[in-house]
Amino acid sequence: MALTAEVLAMLAFTLLAFYGVAGWALTRTLRQESRKVEILRHQDRMDTYSPAALEELREWIEENPDDPRVDEARERYNECVDVLRTTDRHFYDWSDEETSRLEPI
Amino acid sequence: MADAPTKTARAEWGTRFGFLMAMIGAMVGAGNIWRFPYVTGNNGGGAFILAFLTLLFLLAAPGLMAEVALGRYTGKGVIGAFRDVVGRGGLVGLGVVVLLVNVALMSYYSPVVGWTLYYAIHSLLFTFTGSGFDPTAFWEGLLENPALMIGLHTVVMGSIAAVLALGIRRGVERLVVYAVPALVLSLLVMTVRGLTLPGATEGIAFVFGVEWEYLTYSSTWITALGQALFSTGLGWGIALTIGSYLREYDDVPLGGGVFTAVGESSIGILAALAIFPVVFATGLEPDEGANLTFISLVQVFPEIPLGGVVAVFFFVGFFLATYTSGLLITEVSVTTLSEETRLSRIQTVLVVCGGIWLLGIPSAYSVDVLDYLDFVFGNWGLPLATLAIIGVIGWKLGPERLRVLSVNRNAGVYVGPWWDPLIKYVIPAVMLFIVAYFAYDEYGTPEMIGGMVVLVTFPLIGYALMSVLEGRDRPGTAEPAGGDD
Repeated sequence: MALTAEVLAMLAFTLLAFYGVAGWALTRTLRQESRKVEILRHQDRMDTYSPAALEELREWIEENPDDPRVDEARERYNECVDVLRTTDRHFYDWSDEETSRLEPI
Repeated sequence: MADAPTKTARAEWGTRFGFLMAMIGAMVGAGNIWRFPYVTGNNGGGAFILAFLTLLFLLAAPGLMAEVALGRYTGKGVIGAFRDVVGRGGLVGLGVVVLLVNVALMSYYSPVVGWTLYYAIHSLLFTFTGSGFDPTAFWEGLLENPALMIGLHTVVMGSIAAVLALGIRRGVERLVVYAVPALVLSLLVMTVRGLTLPGATEGIAFVFGVEWEYLTYSSTWITALGQALFSTGLGWGIALTIGSYLREYDDVPLGGGVFTAVGESSIGILAALAIFPVVFATGLEPDEGANLTFISLVQVFPEIPLGGVVAVFFFVGFFLATYTSGLLITEVSVTTLSEETRLSRIQTVLVVCGGIWLLGIPSAYSVDVLDYLDFVFGNWGLPLATLAIIGVIGWKLGPERLRVLSVNRNAGVYVGPWWDPLIKYVIPAVMLFIVAYFAYDEYGTPEMIGGMVVLVTFPLIGYALMSVLEGRDRPGTAEPAGGDD
């Protein structure tokens, strides 16, 4: 029995959708771990948020000043800002211009 | 990442690979190996895969991210994590609900692991390729031999206790980093063998043939929903527990969400490629369920070249899949109880495994009890546990708060605000739908009555227990949950 083009197409799509995504996620996350290890060997601290995520964290703190976890959020924000200012290697794609604009909350 | 700073003395995964393998090992179980392939074939093939994939990305991956993130954020087991979110009081009892469901689940899953162990041992002895071997008599002989079943259940729980007693890094991680790749290798070997058999393409056509009209059937979507949610182990407390051993600098969304959801499903696809070419090449019925694995497949191994060796790979792989799931399901209770009591990890392991062993005896004794419990907990217990975990994140902690504080912290990919309504509204609504659907579908049956008992009594037990216990001073923990790691 020969496989139809539709079956072959679905087989190819399935392999790509599952193994492609799983392989991409596995490779990317293991590479990121290696990079983190390398950064932490060079310096004892590392930036904890990407530019988009840190911006969102700042907005959340400003919009929720009375939240019971706002102090923790502020601490995390300031920690990231401090690390970005005091270290030379960053995990996320922070530019010098972006880091110079950051202020603790 | 061994040099990464830690906030507590709690045990942590030694490597990211160990964490990922633990997640996959926990989620890949019997359901992925034999259920996913034939469910796919019976529900429109490629159409079902599209429905499954949609629900996997829409619900399972975001839900797993939430559960892992809660574990890492609190750094605690199920009850401790709930206490961190809801404060002290009866509501912490929702964590007890998750724990009770896990213990119940493991009590009947352990005998199933025992079946796979028995078949793995006999594959190594080349029993299945011996002359005059009768697969049906062999299978029925196992199920109708209570002493043997209880013995296997005892061996399984004993060995799980031994691994868990060694701790997270020396026990669990050391096992899963070898077991999961070995499972994949086993399925690959069987796939290669199966695809080279004459007539194997019919198996491929059965699983991957596209019947588009199935996308318009509600049954296709409900089956895909069940497969996407429950085969990924969402809401069982496993992802929370595994996540609680993550290091500060680890990523949640990529490893804990995307890789886990898609990776464990990839093993289901691999199982389809391994099993169905053999099934069709030898003229077997594809929708035999457990019988397909334990009776039908066994009878074809003597008929295919190198069948004895292929049987070894298949059943050893199958055993590893069920065993690692059982190990991590049990770890949920061990982690939680060792944090909540003054018992050491080893004492906790003995109490938990002993308790599960005792509760599992009826299921080991009678397969009817096992089937009944599987139906009740699969259709009502697990949605209840998922509702508890995702509900607490969505309605008490708040998905936006968890996302900005934990999910996107040290994340490999950025998770945007689209995630919040999925956690707060969509997943809880889906769980309520599943509970209501099966209550309607099974109205008046003993299964439905059992399900209603679980739905009502488990939350009441949890609430009452924690109302009393939380009123007292909590005992300190004797040692970190990870034991001697």
